[in-house]
Amino acid sequence: MSFVEPTAAVMIALEQDAFAVDLVRRARAFLKQLQRADGGWGIAAPDDESGWMTAWAVWALAQSDDDVAQRGVQWLLNHSGLRVTDPKEIERVKQVLKIDATITGWPWLPGDAAWIFPTALALLALNAMRIHEHPREQEAIQYLLDRAIPTGGWNIGNPFMVTGDLPPTVENTALALLALDAYAIENEITRRARAWLAQENFTPTAFEWAWRAWYWTRSKSQVSDLKASEEYANRALVALKELQRADGSFDGNPFTTAIAAMTLDV
Amino acid sequence: MTNFKISRRALLRLALGGGIIAGGAVVYKQTESVGFDKWARWMLRGQAARFAPASRVALAAVPSYDADVLGAIRALWRDANAPDLQNANVVVKPNLVDYITERPCYTMPQVTAALLQFLREEVRVKSVVVAEGTTFRRDPHALLIQTGYRDMLARQRVAFVDLNYDDLVPIPLRGGYAKMDKLFMARTVAQADALISVPKLKTHHWTRISGSIKNLFGIVPGVKYGFPKNTLHIQGIDAFLAELVDSLPTPKRFALVDGIVGLQGDGPLFGTPVASGALVGGGDFLAVDATCARLMGLDPAAMEILVFMAWAGLGQIDANRIELRGVGLDTLRKNYEPAPSA
Repeated sequence: MSFVEPTAAVMIALEQDAFAVDLVRRARAFLKQLQRADGGWGIAAPDDESGWMTAWAVWALAQSDDDVAQRGVQWLLNHSGLRVTDPKEIERVKQVLKIDATITGWPWLPGDAAWIFPTALALLALNAMRIHEHPREQEAIQYLLDRAIPTGGWNIGNPFMVTGDLPPTVENTALALLALDAYAIENEITRRARAWLAQENFTPTAFEWAWRAWYWTRSKSQVSDLKASEEYANRALVALKELQRADGSFDGNPFTTAIAAMTLDV
Repeated sequence: MTNFKISRRALLRLALGGGIIAGGAVVYKQTESVGFDKWARWMLRGQAARFAPASRVALAAVPSYDADVLGAIRALWRDANAPDLQNANVVVKPNLVDYITERPCYTMPQVTAALLQFLREEVRVKSVVVAEGTTFRRDPHALLIQTGYRDMLARQRVAFVDLNYDDLVPIPLRGGYAKMDKLFMARTVAQADALISVPKLKTHHWTRISGSIKNLFGIVPGVKYGFPKNTLHIQGIDAFLAELVDSLPTPKRFALVDGIVGLQGDGPLFGTPVASGALVGGGDFLAVDATCARLMGLDPAAMEILVFMAWAGLGQIDANRIELRGVGLDTLRKNYEPAPSA
């Protein structure tokens, strides 16, 4: 089964490569074919509901198919995560999850709360469409900053749950940083997140290295310590290549392989 | 002027009819949110379940993960009257929610390893895979390494299937509990002959208990429903889990609960260990979870998720409707600290 996410990610990675023209053309056709009547995308052909994949498709088609991507942008702007308005509930959520529930971003699916990954992805998609001043973007940036873990990085959504701090996860941290970099947001939160991402006290898997490689290879223009950034990128790329399987994949997973592919054109 | 007279019998009939109509109106109003027809179907099935044979649940004492787990599973399988899985394609679904140092929040690989060995060598299943769709992390590989599953699976030569990225199969939802008419499920589960839910014995801050039923959240693909599949929580955790139990497409099912070391307090992640020294098994997920609650010194009748499903006839939670076999419940019971209310 072909999915939107790896297709879009590989398309973004290979868009400038001359040898991949035919691949990119087929990927474009696949994505355009899967656009739903409401302008959004599901995750694959059997999925009859638009959701977070819309951001991936908009980003992938931003350069080549403006009219198609614009319909996706409208879908994104028409959907947001749940927003809590009841003062008692706002206070309860503050205690249980340590977040400001009045600020929202993008959900995985309509009707859900907002989460880090779809919010960061939507920001990157809108940035690719050269939209930078929309109030939804400004709120989404505030959302990411509000949900950051005090010691650095992002978990899937809230930084705390009931009695315990949640740990950062690489995909959410890397994607949130990419999004904030795209909007030139630089502060103590992004510096702490970058410091966490630079640590190497994690279990070395292709997934962990692929996200780090993607971030460090893309962040060069944003990071003040360029030399350190290049060093992190090189280390991640070397480690990532060592984990490539004989069949060319990373962990046999098209999603992880697509993220790894993001680093191949640098 | 006509003298209109009404007999006492007619008056009683009128009062009775009026009472029935008024009662019906109240029930209709009370059930409006879900629909009277659904409510009546659930209620009637729940009443019918009172006359069904008791569900059998087996308990075994296993003092540590170095003890004879295989022997205990063999006894449980027999005592719980497990389904015949010879030549079946089986999916074993442990709980790999996360890895946090000193927090025993996941099913230990020793239990899953012994189950795999038992299924292949003694039950003689046709095929078996270990499958999970993690909720807090998009990728399970680090978890598999940290929890010891990668090495265990390599030794057992059993494949791991990431249910978050499996092909999607739409499953019609027949229960009507959640406001969904279908659910996408991982093909590996949807096409299996049997599903064995292998959860950890633990408390949970949303559902009070995290047992064989809550463990089913992992069979839903995260790539569709997001991480941590919150879209389904929005449907109401109780309603959605009832839907999963009612509509599970695998014809045969069994639950094996790792209670050798359980987790108390703030489950599913941040609780503290309790050496319960127990394994629990059975084919009725509800009866297994109700027994797990009692094993933790908690009252299943105070757990909405179990009460609702039992009322709807999806299994048994009444101690009088559960036939316990193996080691006595009182022998293994440890009083767990309940999860904090969230």
